[in-house]
Amino acid sequence: MDPLSFPDVTQLAVPIFIAAILGEFLWIALKGRGGRYETRDAVTSLIMGAGSVASGIVLGFIAWGFFMVLWEITPLDLGTSIGVIVLCFVLDDLRYYWVHRFGHRIRWVWASHVNHHSSQHYNLTTALRQTWTGTFTFMMVVRAPLVLLGFHPALVLFVGGINLVYQFWIHTEAIGKLPRWFEAVMNTPSHHRAHHGRNPRYLDCNYAGVFIIWDKIFGTFVPEQDSDPVDYGLVYNIATFNPLRVAFHEWVAIYRDMTQPGLSLKQRLLYALAPPGYSHDGSRDTSETIKAKHLARQPQDSGTPGF
Amino acid sequence: MPLELLLILVVGGVAAIAVLLHLTGRSDLRLLSADQARQAWLRQFPDSPIAQLTLAEDGHAALIQPEDGSAPLGLVWSFGADTVARCLENVEMKTARRGLYLRLADFSAPGVQLHLNGSEAAHWQRLIAHHPAALATATEV
Repeated sequence: MDPLSFPDVTQLAVPIFIAAILGEFLWIALKGRGGRYETRDAVTSLIMGAGSVASGIVLGFIAWGFFMVLWEITPLDLGTSIGVIVLCFVLDDLRYYWVHRFGHRIRWVWASHVNHHSSQHYNLTTALRQTWTGTFTFMMVVRAPLVLLGFHPALVLFVGGINLVYQFWIHTEAIGKLPRWFEAVMNTPSHHRAHHGRNPRYLDCNYAGVFIIWDKIFGTFVPEQDSDPVDYGLVYNIATFNPLRVAFHEWVAIYRDMTQPGLSLKQRLLYALAPPGYSHDGSRDTSETIKAKHLARQPQDSGTPGF
Repeated sequence: MPLELLLILVVGGVAAIAVLLHLTGRSDLRLLSADQARQAWLRQFPDSPIAQLTLAEDGHAALIQPEDGSAPLGLVWSFGADTVARCLENVEMKTARRGLYLRLADFSAPGVQLHLNGSEAAHWQRLIAHHPAALATATEV
């Protein structure tokens, strides 16, 4: 029995989430700007959030068991000093960047993440529109190096929780741009608004969790442009508020695509593993073709951020 | 946090936010003009220019005939405060007391209730039924 434990910060933050949502709504209502709320959209997002917590309670043992096996294997133990916690937080944020990037570039992982982008609104409830199916993406393997390096699994999950709690407040239109030094280093509402855009310019950008520097290092940073207001949602928006359909629609689409008659094994696998928008006959658009078509219509955008 | 407390917080929080939003008018369906419906279609299908747009009298949906005559018909409709659009292929169409119900072959857009008056419903029904790709079945309910 391993006695080390840390608080579940995402559960502890629930009262703060609710209070902040009410605060944001009142701000918007009083000021007449800073975002939009719609009843069914918000309720769907909140139910998705509750379902995500529930799925973590029910399925969390799978990832936990995997990490504990790794912890038994590794000869390293870095302990839990403040310096180690900070280092773990930074490295876990790098882990988050890549998991998030995979989440947009591998359809199997996108099937889990897509629901977070399925609202056409962008407010604090959108932050809680989280996946129910993350376990099935097997992205827990990206955390394996942290455990093998000697960060205790409980610490790894703790800093991951702080990362998610940080990302809550950036899902808002009520905050414009923050001081330059902060925008330069941290993920902010402005950077993350761009990430939620379905505009061709903003597709596949700003994957950061806490530190926007990862996007700058790996070439995926696109600053929000005043000249191109963010259009929130999916390239192909869903038309349902049913949480079950929101949670599973892309999984169903993958199944239907993979089981089409007349495909080769490679084509079937690509329907699961290629970037969203892949099709064996080229009849669908990926981010790349969407951007190319946009530039064909709007050549003056060539060379501007995101193109 | 005890699970019971978490449950109370979540259920109470969701209910309170839902009631607050509804009572402050955040449940209204978006009303569309013909121009807004056109923009909504092009937002989803920028490479599919419109030949003819038929706006429902209640302003909550529009039937799209693309310039490309071989392309399927399209439909734009209000989705909460926003809009969605789909091409109409293999649709199951049912006539209903308040208009038409279209069941779409799309898990992420299972169907749409179109509120149309009598003559309007008949006109939309003809347009959809006469398009070669649109219809899988048509029934009355």
